[in-house]
Amino acid sequence: MSRSDALVDAAWVEAHLDDPGVVLAEVDEDTSAYDKGHIKGAVKIDWKKDLQDPVRRDFVDQAGFERLLSKRGISNDDTVILYGGNNNWFAAYAYWYFKLYGHDKVKLLDGGRKRWELDSRDMVTDVPIRPATSYHAKEQDRSIRAFRDEVLAAIGSLNLVDVRSPDEFTGRLLAPAHLPQEQAQRGGHVPTAKNVPWSKAAEEDGTFKSNEALVALYRDETGLDFAKDTIAYCRIGERSAHTWFVLHELLDQPNVKNYDGSWTEYGSLVGVPIELGDGK
Amino acid sequence: MSNAGDSSPAGCGAPAGGIKVTAGTGSQAVVQGHVTRSGTPVPSGYARLLNADGEFVAEVPLGDDGGFTFYAAPGDWRLRVLAPGGVQAERAVTASTGAITEIEVAV
Repeated sequence: MSRSDALVDAAWVEAHLDDPGVVLAEVDEDTSAYDKGHIKGAVKIDWKKDLQDPVRRDFVDQAGFERLLSKRGISNDDTVILYGGNNNWFAAYAYWYFKLYGHDKVKLLDGGRKRWELDSRDMVTDVPIRPATSYHAKEQDRSIRAFRDEVLAAIGSLNLVDVRSPDEFTGRLLAPAHLPQEQAQRGGHVPTAKNVPWSKAAEEDGTFKSNEALVALYRDETGLDFAKDTIAYCRIGERSAHTWFVLHELLDQPNVKNYDGSWTEYGSLVGVPIELGDGK
Repeated sequence: MSNAGDSSPAGCGAPAGGIKVTAGTGSQAVVQGHVTRSGTPVPSGYARLLNADGEFVAEVPLGDDGGFTFYAAPGDWRLRVLAPGGVQAERAVTASTGAITEIEVAV
């Protein structure tokens, strides 16, 4: 994997919009954005309705993922270009999810919906009609997904990266500041986690920083040991999918997992250690 | 979430304009306002909340009325606006618990 395998820019998308074998998909939590306007030909993936199990707190399973992609008219051979709002958080989460179920030909649109809008590029409201396919997903690749026990075992030994804002990391805020500050879980972070907010990996327009700047950020400024395995987490696992994408896909670090349970799980566990303040 | 609009505690995304305060603020420290150009709402753009050190805290796409809402903590923040055509603006804002701090940004 390298940067050019994982990322395309807006000019590339405009040039390949109508290519057979290329499918654009907008991934959002607030899908009203798609309904108001999206890139021509893009299908819609709803982060919650389409990607989460409706009952248990987990993903849709392998069969559910197969049904979703078949219904959206995506085949195993298609190159899927994902983009979305919130600086590509949910698109990065979906990217991780496509990889989890073994779809290799998937890329992110650099800058996502924001850069596209700030550039005043064309958007349409027409919803494409794609014939259904028979998509086959692989078993989940657990090498890129961390569970809570692995996080506890990683304290003091592996790289733990908390990608929330400094205000959430220290316990000052319990959620991103665009949400009301009322949550069940305690504030703080996993002991020994380093705070590298996802936003430090992105420019203001939502595009990713250069690989050189990213290495400087994680290795030189933060002191992440690239020889060790890494687990990234945030509040619900989508901002940390953005950082997983940076470390695993752009910087080609081999052993990086996203902990999708993240702080809403960890901060609600009975008896686990929590660190407050700026960390060590 | 009794005083906010439709939102899910499982979610993390920012709906356009943010989640509007519909009743009292309770213990929330709310920063909200609108972005306008020559008195007309700017519906396509982004509002970013930065902390006093200039670190990114949150971002919402502007609502159809150019509006944005943030739930901060008491203290000093910076509000930054991005809009198509390279438009940028930045304002200082101080939030207080139990209050809605209104900020109107003309670009």
